[in-house]
Amino acid sequence: MKKSQAMTISPEWDEIEMVRNKSSKFFEQNGIPDEIVHSATMVVSELLENGIKYGDFSKNKSRVGVDISINSNTITVEVSNPVNEVAYAYLKTLDKTIQWIRGFQDPFQAYTEMLKEVSRKPMSDENSGLGLVRIAYEGDAIIDFFVSDEGILNVSAIVDY
Amino acid sequence: MKFESPEVFENNLLKLTLQETNDSIEVKWNGKSTDREPGVFISPILLNVLELSSRDNKDIRMDFRALEYMNSSTITPIIKILERAKRGTNKLTVIYDKTLKWQDLSFSALEIFQTQDKRVEIKGLT
Repeated sequence: MKKSQAMTISPEWDEIEMVRNKSSKFFEQNGIPDEIVHSATMVVSELLENGIKYGDFSKNKSRVGVDISINSNTITVEVSNPVNEVAYAYLKTLDKTIQWIRGFQDPFQAYTEMLKEVSRKPMSDENSGLGLVRIAYEGDAIIDFFVSDEGILNVSAIVDY
Repeated sequence: MKFESPEVFENNLLKLTLQETNDSIEVKWNGKSTDREPGVFISPILLNVLELSSRDNKDIRMDFRALEYMNSSTITPIIKILERAKRGTNKLTVIYDKTLKWQDLSFSALEIFQTQDKRVEIKGLT
Protein backbone atom coordinates (compact mmCIF):
# COMPACT_ATOMS: atom_id res chain seq x y z
CA MET A 1 0.00 0.00 0.00
CA LYS A 2 1.30 3.43 -0.93
CA LYS A 3 1.83 5.91 1.91
CA SER A 4 2.67 9.50 1.22
CA GLN A 5 3.48 12.78 2.84
CA ALA A 6 3.39 16.18 1.19
CA MET A 7 4.90 19.36 2.58
CA THR A 8 5.01 22.86 1.21
CA ILE A 9 7.51 25.20 2.76
CA SER A 10 8.80 28.72 2.37
CA PRO A 11 12.26 28.81 0.78
CA GLU A 12 14.07 29.49 4.05
CA TRP A 13 17.20 27.53 4.96
CA ASP A 14 15.97 27.01 8.54
CA GLU A 15 12.96 25.08 7.22
CA ILE A 16 15.23 22.25 6.06
CA GLU A 17 15.81 20.93 9.57
CA MET A 18 12.06 20.90 10.20
CA VAL A 19 11.50 18.91 6.98
CA ARG A 20 14.35 16.56 7.91
CA ASN A 21 12.76 15.84 11.27
CA LYS A 22 9.25 15.35 9.82
CA SER A 23 10.54 13.10 7.03
CA SER A 24 12.58 11.03 9.42
CA LYS A 25 9.55 10.56 11.69
CA PHE A 26 7.39 9.63 8.68
CA PHE A 27 9.89 6.95 7.60
CA GLU A 28 10.15 5.56 11.14
CA GLN A 29 6.38 5.47 11.62
CA ASN A 30 6.07 3.47 8.42
CA GLY A 31 8.53 0.80 9.47
CA ILE A 32 11.45 1.81 7.27
CA PRO A 33 14.68 0.24 8.63
CA ASP A 34 16.89 2.64 10.64
CA GLU A 35 19.78 2.72 8.18
CA ILE A 36 17.40 3.55 5.31
CA VAL A 37 15.70 6.24 7.42
CA HIS A 38 19.02 8.04 7.63
CA SER A 39 19.90 7.77 3.95
CA ALA A 40 16.38 8.65 2.75
CA THR A 41 16.32 11.68 5.06
CA MET A 42 19.69 12.72 3.62
CA VAL A 43 18.16 12.47 0.12
CA VAL A 44 15.24 14.72 1.16
CA SER A 45 17.64 17.18 2.72
CA GLU A 46 20.06 17.39 -0.23
CA LEU A 47 17.27 17.79 -2.81
CA LEU A 48 15.62 20.45 -0.67
CA GLU A 49 18.90 22.36 -0.27
CA ASN A 50 19.22 22.47 -4.07
CA GLY A 51 15.58 23.55 -4.45
CA ILE A 52 16.10 26.48 -2.09
CA LYS A 53 19.50 27.40 -3.56
CA TYR A 54 18.51 27.41 -7.21
CA GLY A 55 14.76 28.12 -7.21
CA ASP A 56 13.21 31.38 -8.34
CA PHE A 57 11.24 32.78 -5.43
CA SER A 58 10.91 36.31 -6.72
CA LYS A 59 7.15 35.98 -7.05
CA ASN A 60 5.09 36.37 -3.91
CA LYS A 61 4.22 33.20 -2.08
CA SER A 62 6.58 31.02 -4.16
CA ARG A 63 7.14 27.84 -2.20
CA VAL A 64 9.07 24.59 -2.32
CA GLY A 65 7.15 21.32 -2.42
CA VAL A 66 8.42 18.10 -0.87
CA ASP A 67 6.53 14.90 -1.66
CA ILE A 68 7.52 11.57 -0.21
CA SER A 69 5.87 8.29 -1.03
CA ILE A 70 6.61 4.83 0.28
CA ASN A 71 5.75 1.81 -1.82
CA SER A 72 6.42 -1.83 -1.02
CA ASN A 73 10.14 -1.68 -1.89
CA THR A 74 10.86 1.90 -2.87
CA ILE A 75 10.79 5.40 -1.44
CA THR A 76 10.25 8.25 -3.89
CA VAL A 77 11.29 11.76 -2.91
CA GLU A 78 10.23 14.66 -5.11
CA VAL A 79 11.19 18.28 -4.58
CA SER A 80 9.59 20.95 -6.75
CA ASN A 81 10.25 24.65 -7.02
CA PRO A 82 9.77 27.44 -9.56
CA VAL A 83 12.70 28.21 -11.86
CA ASN A 84 13.34 31.04 -14.29
CA GLU A 85 15.70 31.56 -17.22
CA VAL A 86 18.51 32.47 -14.80
CA ALA A 87 18.34 28.91 -13.48
CA TYR A 88 18.87 27.41 -16.95
CA ALA A 89 22.58 27.14 -16.30
CA TYR A 90 21.72 25.12 -13.20
CA LEU A 91 19.35 22.91 -15.24
CA LYS A 92 22.17 22.23 -17.71
CA THR A 93 24.48 21.30 -14.83
CA LEU A 94 21.76 19.15 -13.29
CA ASP A 95 21.25 17.29 -16.57
CA LYS A 96 25.00 16.93 -17.16
CA THR A 97 25.62 15.67 -13.62
CA ILE A 98 22.81 13.10 -13.77
CA GLN A 99 24.10 11.82 -17.13
CA TRP A 100 27.64 11.76 -15.76
CA ILE A 101 26.58 9.71 -12.71
CA ARG A 102 24.71 7.27 -14.98
CA GLY A 103 27.92 6.76 -16.93
CA PHE A 104 29.45 4.92 -13.96
CA GLN A 105 28.56 1.31 -13.24
CA ASP A 106 28.90 1.95 -9.52
CA PRO A 107 27.90 5.35 -8.04
CA PHE A 108 30.74 4.93 -5.54
CA GLN A 109 33.19 5.50 -8.39
CA ALA A 110 31.35 8.66 -9.43
CA TYR A 111 31.38 9.86 -5.84
CA THR A 112 35.12 9.33 -5.32
CA GLU A 113 35.88 10.98 -8.67
CA MET A 114 33.88 14.01 -7.58
CA LEU A 115 35.59 14.03 -4.15
CA LYS A 116 39.00 14.16 -5.85
CA GLU A 117 37.91 16.99 -8.13
CA VAL A 118 36.35 19.08 -5.37
CA SER A 119 39.28 18.54 -2.98
CA ARG A 120 41.63 20.29 -5.41
CA LYS A 121 39.56 23.48 -5.56
CA PRO A 122 40.59 26.52 -3.51
CA MET A 123 39.41 26.63 0.12
CA SER A 124 37.43 29.76 -0.67
CA ASP A 125 35.31 27.97 -3.30
CA GLU A 126 32.11 27.10 -1.41
CA ASN A 127 30.48 25.18 -4.28
CA SER A 128 30.52 21.53 -3.40
CA GLY A 129 28.66 19.96 -6.31
CA LEU A 130 28.59 16.79 -4.20
CA GLY A 131 24.85 16.73 -3.39
CA LEU A 132 23.54 14.74 -6.36
CA VAL A 133 26.38 12.26 -6.49
CA ARG A 134 26.06 11.74 -2.73
CA ILE A 135 22.35 10.97 -3.24
CA ALA A 136 23.30 8.40 -5.88
CA TYR A 137 26.02 6.80 -3.76
CA GLU A 138 24.95 7.05 -0.11
CA GLY A 139 21.25 7.05 -0.87
CA ASP A 140 21.66 4.36 -3.54
CA ALA A 141 19.07 6.37 -5.46
CA ILE A 142 18.17 6.97 -9.08
CA ILE A 143 17.77 10.67 -9.82
CA ASP A 144 15.68 12.31 -12.52
CA PHE A 145 14.07 15.68 -13.24
CA PHE A 146 11.64 17.54 -15.47
CA VAL A 147 10.45 21.10 -15.90
CA SER A 148 6.72 21.66 -16.33
CA ASP A 149 5.18 24.14 -18.79
CA GLU A 150 4.49 26.37 -15.78
CA GLY A 151 8.22 26.59 -15.04
CA ILE A 152 8.22 24.24 -12.06
CA LEU A 153 11.33 22.10 -11.68
CA ASN A 154 10.66 18.69 -10.20
CA VAL A 155 13.67 16.64 -9.11
CA SER A 156 13.03 13.10 -7.95
CA ALA A 157 15.08 10.38 -6.32
CA ILE A 158 13.98 6.77 -6.00
CA VAL A 159 15.52 4.82 -3.15
CA ASP A 160 15.22 1.01 -3.10
CA TYR A 161 15.04 -0.66 0.28
CA MET B 1 51.85 15.26 29.03
CA LYS B 2 50.73 18.86 28.74
CA PHE B 3 47.03 19.52 28.07
CA GLU B 4 45.83 22.95 27.08
CA SER B 5 42.23 23.73 28.06
CA PRO B 6 39.90 22.84 25.20
CA GLU B 7 38.69 25.52 22.81
CA VAL B 8 35.06 25.26 21.79
CA PHE B 9 33.65 26.69 18.56
CA GLU B 10 29.90 26.65 18.04
CA ASN B 11 27.80 27.56 15.05
CA ASN B 12 24.09 26.72 14.86
CA LEU B 13 23.81 22.96 15.48
CA LEU B 14 27.52 22.20 15.12
CA LYS B 15 30.15 22.21 17.85
CA LEU B 16 33.88 21.74 17.25
CA THR B 17 36.09 21.15 20.29
CA LEU B 18 39.83 21.55 19.92
CA GLN B 19 42.07 19.91 22.47
CA GLU B 20 45.81 20.43 22.22
CA THR B 21 48.41 18.31 23.97
CA ASN B 22 52.21 18.25 23.72
CA ASP B 23 52.14 16.17 20.60
CA SER B 24 48.66 16.33 19.13
CA ILE B 25 45.65 18.44 18.26
CA GLU B 26 42.28 16.77 18.50
CA VAL B 27 39.19 18.16 16.76
CA LYS B 28 35.96 16.64 18.05
CA TRP B 29 32.82 17.12 15.94
CA ASN B 30 29.45 17.19 17.70
CA GLY B 31 25.88 17.73 16.55
CA LYS B 32 24.79 18.51 13.00
CA SER B 33 26.40 20.52 10.22
CA THR B 34 23.57 21.88 8.08
CA ASP B 35 24.56 25.43 7.15
CA ARG B 36 24.18 26.75 3.63
CA GLU B 37 27.89 27.57 3.54
CA PRO B 38 29.43 25.54 6.36
CA GLY B 39 32.95 26.24 5.09
CA VAL B 40 32.69 29.83 6.32
CA PHE B 41 32.74 28.49 9.88
CA ILE B 42 34.73 25.27 9.42
CA SER B 43 37.52 26.18 6.98
CA PRO B 44 39.31 28.83 9.09
CA ILE B 45 39.33 26.48 12.09
CA LEU B 46 40.69 23.53 10.12
CA LEU B 47 43.25 25.65 8.29
CA ASN B 48 44.46 26.96 11.64
CA VAL B 49 44.75 23.40 12.97
CA LEU B 50 46.75 22.40 9.89
CA GLU B 51 49.05 25.40 10.35
CA LEU B 52 49.58 24.69 14.07
CA SER B 53 50.27 21.06 13.28
CA SER B 54 52.95 22.01 10.74
CA ARG B 55 54.50 24.69 12.97
CA ASP B 56 54.62 22.62 16.18
CA ASN B 57 54.98 19.22 14.56
CA LYS B 58 51.80 17.88 16.16
CA ASP B 59 49.56 15.09 14.92
CA ILE B 60 45.96 15.92 14.04
CA ARG B 61 43.10 13.67 15.09
CA MET B 62 39.64 14.52 13.75
CA ASP B 63 36.97 12.61 15.63
CA PHE B 64 33.57 12.50 13.92
CA ARG B 65 31.94 9.79 16.06
CA ALA B 66 29.57 12.21 17.82
CA LEU B 67 28.52 13.90 14.58
CA GLU B 68 24.84 13.21 13.88
CA TYR B 69 24.57 14.56 10.35
CA MET B 70 26.47 16.65 7.82
CA ASN B 71 25.26 18.00 4.51
CA SER B 72 27.33 17.58 1.37
CA SER B 73 28.62 21.16 1.64
CA THR B 74 30.32 20.14 4.90
CA ILE B 75 32.27 17.40 3.13
CA THR B 76 33.92 20.03 0.92
CA PRO B 77 36.12 21.76 3.57
CA ILE B 78 36.96 18.38 5.12
CA ILE B 79 38.28 16.85 1.89
CA LYS B 80 40.16 20.03 1.01
CA ILE B 81 42.01 19.75 4.34
CA LEU B 82 42.68 16.05 3.71
CA GLU B 83 44.06 16.84 0.27
CA ARG B 84 46.31 19.55 1.72
CA ALA B 85 47.50 17.22 4.50
CA LYS B 86 48.19 14.54 1.91
CA ARG B 87 50.40 16.93 -0.07
CA GLY B 88 52.10 18.19 3.10
CA THR B 89 53.89 16.46 5.94
CA ASN B 90 51.18 16.51 8.62
CA LYS B 91 50.04 13.33 10.31
CA LEU B 92 46.25 13.38 10.24
CA THR B 93 43.86 10.68 11.41
CA VAL B 94 40.12 10.76 10.77
CA ILE B 95 38.11 8.70 13.27
CA TYR B 96 34.51 7.68 12.57
CA ASP B 97 31.93 5.24 13.92
CA LYS B 98 31.88 2.23 11.63
CA THR B 99 28.72 0.87 13.29
CA LEU B 100 26.70 3.83 11.96
CA LYS B 101 25.91 3.07 8.32
CA TRP B 102 25.81 6.71 7.25
CA GLN B 103 29.21 7.40 8.83
CA ASP B 104 30.64 4.25 7.29
CA LEU B 105 29.41 5.26 3.82
CA SER B 106 30.50 8.89 4.14
CA PHE B 107 33.90 8.41 5.73
CA SER B 108 35.08 5.14 4.17
CA ALA B 109 34.88 6.95 0.81
CA LEU B 110 37.51 9.36 2.16
CA GLU B 111 40.05 6.53 2.11
CA ILE B 112 41.06 7.85 -1.32
CA PHE B 113 42.94 10.54 0.62
CA GLN B 114 44.80 8.01 2.73
CA THR B 115 48.56 7.82 2.19
CA GLN B 116 50.31 4.47 1.85
CA ASP B 117 52.32 5.03 5.04
CA LYS B 118 49.07 5.94 6.91
CA ARG B 119 50.39 9.45 7.61
CA VAL B 120 46.91 10.44 6.51
CA GLU B 121 44.59 7.74 7.77
CA ILE B 122 40.84 7.17 7.76
CA LYS B 123 39.95 4.90 10.66
CA GLY B 124 36.52 3.38 11.32
CA LEU B 125 36.09 2.25 14.93
CA THR B 126 33.52 -0.31 16.08
